[in-house]
Amino acid sequence: MNKDFHCYATYCAAILAGYSHEESAVIGYSSQMVDLCTRTMLSKLHAPQSAATTQLQLELMDARTDIIGLQDITRIWASFHFLPGDLYAVPEQKCSKKYLKKYRLICKPNSELLEKTVRRAKGKNLQDAGIAMHVLADTWAHSYFAGTPSLVINNTNYHFFELIQGENGEEERKVNFRHSPSSPDEPEKSAYTNTVYYNNENSIMSLGHGRAGHLPDYCFVRYKYLPAWGNYEEIIKDNPSDYLCAFTQMVYALKYLRGTIPEFEKGHYDTESIEPVKDEIQRILHTVQLDSTKDWRELGKKLSGHELEEIDVEAIEKEYLDADADEKDDTFLGRFIIGALAQKSMVTNQIFQSGNRLAGYSIELGSKGFKGIRDFKKLLKRREAGSDE
Amino acid sequence: MNSFQRIISFFKGIGLVLFALILLEYPKDGIIIVAAIISLSLLLYGFRLLWYYTRMARHMVGGKSILFQSIIFLDVAIFSASLITESQFWVMIYLLGVYAFSGAIDILRAFEAKKNGAPSWKMKFSGGCIRVAATIALFVIGIIFRETTVLLYGYCINLGYAAVMHFINAFRRTAIVYIQ
Repeated sequence: MNKDFHCYATYCAAILAGYSHEESAVIGYSSQMVDLCTRTMLSKLHAPQSAATTQLQLELMDARTDIIGLQDITRIWASFHFLPGDLYAVPEQKCSKKYLKKYRLICKPNSELLEKTVRRAKGKNLQDAGIAMHVLADTWAHSYFAGTPSLVINNTNYHFFELIQGENGEEERKVNFRHSPSSPDEPEKSAYTNTVYYNNENSIMSLGHGRAGHLPDYCFVRYKYLPAWGNYEEIIKDNPSDYLCAFTQMVYALKYLRGTIPEFEKGHYDTESIEPVKDEIQRILHTVQLDSTKDWRELGKKLSGHELEEIDVEAIEKEYLDADADEKDDTFLGRFIIGALAQKSMVTNQIFQSGNRLAGYSIELGSKGFKGIRDFKKLLKRREAGSDE
Repeated sequence: MNSFQRIISFFKGIGLVLFALILLEYPKDGIIIVAAIISLSLLLYGFRLLWYYTRMARHMVGGKSILFQSIIFLDVAIFSASLITESQFWVMIYLLGVYAFSGAIDILRAFEAKKNGAPSWKMKFSGGCIRVAATIALFVIGIIFRETTVLLYGYCINLGYAAVMHFINAFRRTAIVYIQ
C-alpha cells in the first residue's frame, strides 16, 4: 500500500468512524509516517533510533544480515508492515525448526496479533491509532509474504500472471518483471519492477514482497502466482476485494478506538457505514492507476468538507527539534515515536514468547528489571509517569 | 559498515598480503597451498548449499535448483583439488580463471548495485574491470612467453590489489547521505 491508502483512505475511514477532520488528519498522517520514519530521519533529529518503522533502500543495502542485523530488520518489518498471521502455524510437510521459524512469520489478516495491535492503541494517542491502521491495512496488502529476509518464503518464480478484464472476460497476462528501480511500472503492459533473484537465504532482495515487486501495493491489481512456501499451490490475490476488506475493517477498528464499539474482534467489518460511498470506493479500487491519492482526497473532502493537505514532514521535524527536552514527547513526532516503540516492543515480545528468536530477545520487566536497548526506557518512564499503561 | 565489519575487512587485507608474500617467497609450494585453499572453500560452499537444501530449500518452489548448484560446486571443488598435483602452469591458469570469474561477478554486482541506486557501484565496477583485464593480459603473456613466473607475479599483484581494496573498505566512510 502507498500513501494514497495509508494517508488519504485512512483519513476517510476515520471520518466515517466519527472522528473530526483534525483528528482524522492526525490518524492519516501517523499512518503515513510509518512509511517515512527511518533511522536516517531519527538520527538527524537526535531521536531514539529504535523507533524506526521502515528502512530506506540505502539503509537496507548497508544492513548486515548476520543474526543481529536480521533481528533488527525483522523487528521493523514484522512489527509494522508484515504482521505475522499465526505465530504457532505448522506447515503441511515436516520441516526443520529453522524453516518453521520463518514460516511462522508469514503475514496474514485477522490474526491474534492484529487484535493485540488494535487493542494496544485503545486509550492512547491518535498517533497510536494511525500506526495500528497502517499495520492493519498492510496485513491485507502484504498477505503471504514475511517481514524477514527469506528466499524459501518470499521468493517468486516465472509463474506469475496478472488477471485482467478483456473483451472475452477474464484473461491471464504474464507479468514481465524488470529489475530497474528507475523505470516506472507499466500496468497496461504488465511490466513491473521487482528485486533480483539472489541465491542466499538471508539476502535483502528476499525481504517481504520485494520479489513480487509493488504488485501487492496497487489496489487495482488481481494476480496469481506460486508462493515459495506454498507447496506448488497457486494463490490468487484479489487486491480490490482485499483493499475493501482493509477499509471496512479500519472503520470498524477506529470505531472501537473511538469508543463507539465496546470490543474489537478479528473478522468483523463495518460495511454499513461505507454504504453511502461504497460505489465511489469500488470505483477508486478498480481504477488502473499507480497513485489514487487524488481520488481518495476528493472522497475525503466529500465526507468531511475539508481538503486534507499533503503531510508536511519538515514542519513535523521542526516541531520536534524546536521543542524543549521535556516537551518533545508531546509533539506529533514524539507521540508517534512512543507509539512505534510500544508496537515494536509488543510484536517482538509476542514473537519471542512463541519461541521464535528471529525478532530478537524480549525481557519481561516484572521478572528481570530493565535490560537491553536503552531507547525502550522511554516506554518505562511513560508508564512510571502514569501517562501510559 | 560497522566497526566489526571494518576490522574483518582489515584482517582480510592482511591475509591477502601474507598470501602474496608466501607465493613470492616459495613460488612452487605457495601456489599449491593457494589452490588447496580455493578447492577447500569450494567444497565447503558446496556442502553448505547441500545442507541448506535439506534443511530449508527442499520446501521451496523451485528449490531443486539449490541441490543442483551444490552438486556443481562440489564437482568443481573436486576438479580443482585434482589440479593441485598437476603442473604449476595449469594450476596458475586455473587460479587466474577463478580470479577473472570473480572479477566478472564483481562487474555484474556493480550493475545490480547501480540499478538499486547504491553509490558503491563505481568502485565495484572499476575493481571488477581491473581484475578481468589483468588476468586476461597475464594469461596471454604466460602463453606467449611460456613463463609461469610472470603469471605468478601477476597473480600476486592481483592479490595485492584486492588487499588494498579491503584496506580502503575498512577505512572508507559509509554513512548514509541525506538527500533533501
